[in-house]
Parts: sequence; C-alpha cells; structure tokens
Amino acid sequence: MRNGEASYVSDQKYAGRRGGFADAVRLTMRICVQLLLGALALLTIVTVAVLLGPMLALDLYTPPVAAWWTVFTAVVVQGVPFLLLGALVSAAVGALVPGRVFSRLLPRSPALAVPVAGAAGAVLPGCECASVPVAGSLMRRGVAPAAALAFLLSAPAINPVVLVATSLAFPGQPMMVVARFTASLATAVAMGWLWARFGRTQWLRLSSRPAAESGTSRAGAFVAGLQHDFLHAGGFLVVGAGAAATFNIAVPRALLDVFTASAWVSVLLLALLAVVLCVCSEADAFVAASLSGFGPVAQLAFMVVGPMVDLKLFALQAGTFGREFALRFSSATWVTAVLGSVLVGWWLL
Amino acid sequence: MRKYGPAVLLLLVGAAVLRISLFSDLYLRYVQAGLRPYLILSGVMLGSLGLLRGALTVRAARTGAPGTEGHGHPAEDGPDHGHSHAGGPRIAWLLALPAVALLCFPPPALGSYSAAREEARRAEEYVGTFPALPAGDPVELSLAEFGSRAAYDSRYSLRDRTVRLTGFVSTGDGGTWYVTRLQVACCAADATAVKAEVRGAGAPEADAWVTVTGTWHPRGRLGPAAAWPPVLDATTVRAITEPSDPYEER
Repeated sequence: MRNGEASYVSDQKYAGRRGGFADAVRLTMRICVQLLLGALALLTIVTVAVLLGPMLALDLYTPPVAAWWTVFTAVVVQGVPFLLLGALVSAAVGALVPGRVFSRLLPRSPALAVPVAGAAGAVLPGCECASVPVAGSLMRRGVAPAAALAFLLSAPAINPVVLVATSLAFPGQPMMVVARFTASLATAVAMGWLWARFGRTQWLRLSSRPAAESGTSRAGAFVAGLQHDFLHAGGFLVVGAGAAATFNIAVPRALLDVFTASAWVSVLLLALLAVVLCVCSEADAFVAASLSGFGPVAQLAFMVVGPMVDLKLFALQAGTFGREFALRFSSATWVTAVLGSVLVGWWLL
Repeated sequence: MRKYGPAVLLLLVGAAVLRISLFSDLYLRYVQAGLRPYLILSGVMLGSLGLLRGALTVRAARTGAPGTEGHGHPAEDGPDHGHSHAGGPRIAWLLALPAVALLCFPPPALGSYSAAREEARRAEEYVGTFPALPAGDPVELSLAEFGSRAAYDSRYSLRDRTVRLTGFVSTGDGGTWYVTRLQVACCAADATAVKAEVRGAGAPEADAWVTVTGTWHPRGRLGPAAAWPPVLDATTVRAITEPSDPYEER
C-alpha cells in the first residue's frame, strides 16, 4: 500500500518532466537492488547449509533415522502401484457409469438394498479415500443412506485388488483372504442395517457441491478423477507410511511381545493401531503381515478395522458428511468391526 | 504456480518411481523383485498423466478469461470436486517428500540396526529331512537355508561340507559376530533377520558386507531353542560390495 502511494506521489512529481525515463531508471535500480539482496541472502543460506549441513546431517542421520527413511519409503513405493490401479478403475467407474444405474439396480427396501450395496462394494477397487466421495455422490443421486454407507464400508475392504494384495501378503494362507472378505462384508452389512434402524437423517450433513455434470467431457472427467484420487490418497498414504515407520522404529519389539501374549489385548491393540496407522486398504495387508508377533485373529482385526475406521478416513468423512455423523458412525463401526473379526477369526482361522 | 501443482507432483512421483525401478536396481532396497514391472508401468503412467495434466492446465490458462485466476478452476477440473481447489488436494504435497528423497538421496537398505530389532521368530517346526545339498565345494547357501538345515535336519546334511554364506556383519555380546541377512516378504517394513554366528575370524566393522567360507559347527541337539543361531567355523572372510538385492526372499 505504502509503495503504491509513494510511486503515485513520485508519478505526480515526475509527471511533468521526463517521467517515463525516470520511472524506468528507478525500476531498474530497484530490481538491481532486490536481485543483489536476494543473491546475498541466497549465498548466505547456501554457505551455511554447505558448511553446517553435513555436520548436522551426520549428527541426525543415525541408524534409527536411516531405518525410518527406508521403511517410510518402502511403504510408499509398495503402495504406489496399488493406489494407481485403484484410482484408475474408480475414475473409470465414476466417469463412465451414470449415477442413475446405481439407483435402478438397487432394491427399494433398505433392508434388501443394504446387502446388495455391500456386495456391490466388490466392484469398486479403490481404497477408502476413493470410496468416501463415491458414497456421498450415491446419496446425492437418491440411493438410501443405509445402502450407500454399507457400500462405503465394504468397497475398500472386499474389492479384488485388496483381496489379491492380501493373498500376496499372506502367502500360503488362503483362509486369511476368506476371513477378511467375510468379516468385512458382515461388518458393512451390519452397519447398514444399524443405520436403517437407528440412524437419523439430521446427523447427515452432505456438503453441497455445484452440479457440473453437463459441459465436461468424459475423458476430462476421467483424467480429473484419476489425478485427484491418486494425489489425495497418495498424500494420506504418505501420512500412513510415516506413522507406520515411526511405529516400526520407535516401539521396541519387546513391548509388543508383552501384548502378544494375551489374545484379547492383542486384538484390541491392533484394532487401535489400525485407527492410528491409517494405512491404505490396498497396502494394509502387508503391514499386517509384518506384525508377525501377533496372532492371526489380531491381524484380521487390523485388516477389517483399517479400511473402515482410521484417522484419515475420519477426516474425510467429517468433510463429506459432517463431524457429528463421522464421530457416531466411526465409533459404532469400530466396535462392530472388532466383534465381527473376532467372531469370524474364531470361526475360520 | 499453484495451478501447476498436480502436474508437478505427478511428474515428480513418476520420475522417482522410474528412477528406482527402470534406471537402477534401487527398488530392491525397498520392495521385492516381483514388483518391478508394476513399478515401471506406474512410473510411465504417472509421468504421462502429469504431462497431460500440465498440457490441459496450460491450454485452460491460454483460452480461459484472464480474470478467472483468483476463483474457480478450468473446466477440465471435472465435475467431481466442487469443494476442491485449483491446486488439487493440499495433503497431496506430502507425496513430494518420498519422491524427492528417492530422486536425490535414496535411503539405504536396512542393516544391522534393524537386524538387531527384528529377530525372526522361529516357529516350533518339526525336525525332519531335507533334500540333498547341491554339489559344489564350497556350496553357496542362503542364510535361511543354512539356519533351517542346522536347526531341523535330522540327517545332518551340513556335516563335512564347506559352505559359503553372504551377508552383512552384525555384532553381539562379548565379541561374537554374525553374518546376517534380512528377509523380506513384501517390503522393507516386514523385514526379519536371519543370521549365523562366525567363529575363528575377527569381527569386521558392523554393516560391512562379507562372504564367509567355512564349515558348520554342530551344537548338540536339534530344534530352534538349542541350535539357534547356527555357528560357522570360518576359514576365510572376504569383504565384498553390497549386492544389488540386499534382502533374502522369504
């Protein structure tokens, strides 16, 4: 502001004389001074960084930090192809299938629509980050909230990409894949029915968004959806990888062994861990497999809870459906998922 | 600049993935060999998606009205995200962290620090017989194979054979040292250590890569409790450079 005034004043002053030339000279001078100052600052920063950097880096780059970086990078590298595949197919489904199709395929009665929508989750190979906006748009297109919520919970857990990833992570244990599918679908359907029975619509606050359906090409929508899904989920994957690496390095294995002794405590511990670690459903089987000190039921609970309740998902849900909803829904889902995985794990594993 | 954020990010991640999978073997420090084709494919797709995104943004900036800079976004931004911001989701910028790390200073493979923490938990397996050892003198064995035969082979196939083991050095209590390797099932997050104690040679520096040639030193009964970790009486210890695949497949 002050700059503007000054130049205004000087403009007045010099206007009568050879104003244009003087202005040009002043501008050049100013740019020169700024460049000089900027270069000086840059030089100082570079010098300090070059002199102090290696010392500081060597001090900070201890074996635990190096191991943290490696584990962190490894989880991200492992997740990228799966994430991209998920984003690819979910963008294709989102851009190429009109919303009407969903509401036509689903039965009218919510009690019937819930299991159908839950099972339909198998066709959306996205991770949980992708399924939240899809569930939101399903509700907007007139699908019963109970059905959309069952879809929201089941889609990230029982789709083929996740199941293939699970079988890769647990080689030679096909029952783990079956148990994950069963427990996740059961939890999703149970939550859908619970919502149909006890849910209140005023808890749901769908954020409005402009209807931009017309005027955009399908290819444009596809590219935009793909890019957004990948970047959005990728950001949360980095958060999850950081948390996983921190956990990997910071928590001594001996401490975990204390909990692995008791089956109940280890199930609850891993169910809580799934909430905190926020690993994407396409990569969480690998993390579960790495928690090799725990029993299979606890690992199952980790994989059932993870895609349904975690911190990043809570943030996404709060953004899409409102915080009041997210709080109630997430806590109820956590309890249901733990019960479901204990029952199924006890039965199958 | 904000407008070009998504394109820059996609290019960055694509370049990082290609750098470790297509242009080098660095990906083996983080994941298994089998993932390579998928990594290369993802890198190529992310790169081209970034280029496409950049081209669309440039075109939108050229054709769009000059006043639209502050609010709203180009029509190509799609119907999906009315709440969204022209720069793409902000959380996505976190992707730049691992991407830049991989491009500029790829993190090292896990070493003796992790080996000390991630001892492989030995299941109570039954002692049984193993197929005959391959011919060769010395015979090259993975540390996992050496450990299994030492602990479980009731026919003692390791007896009277000279074996060669490759791994990095990790140290234990009282001057003992081990030739160690980490086993990875999927990615470095699930690494567990397998090792063999080396006797008859002084300890090299921790984390140095070595091949050790020697003979198995039986220790009484079989089974993981009595025979773990297995012991090798070394005749030669030779320093080597770190192999491109630092882990053993599980």
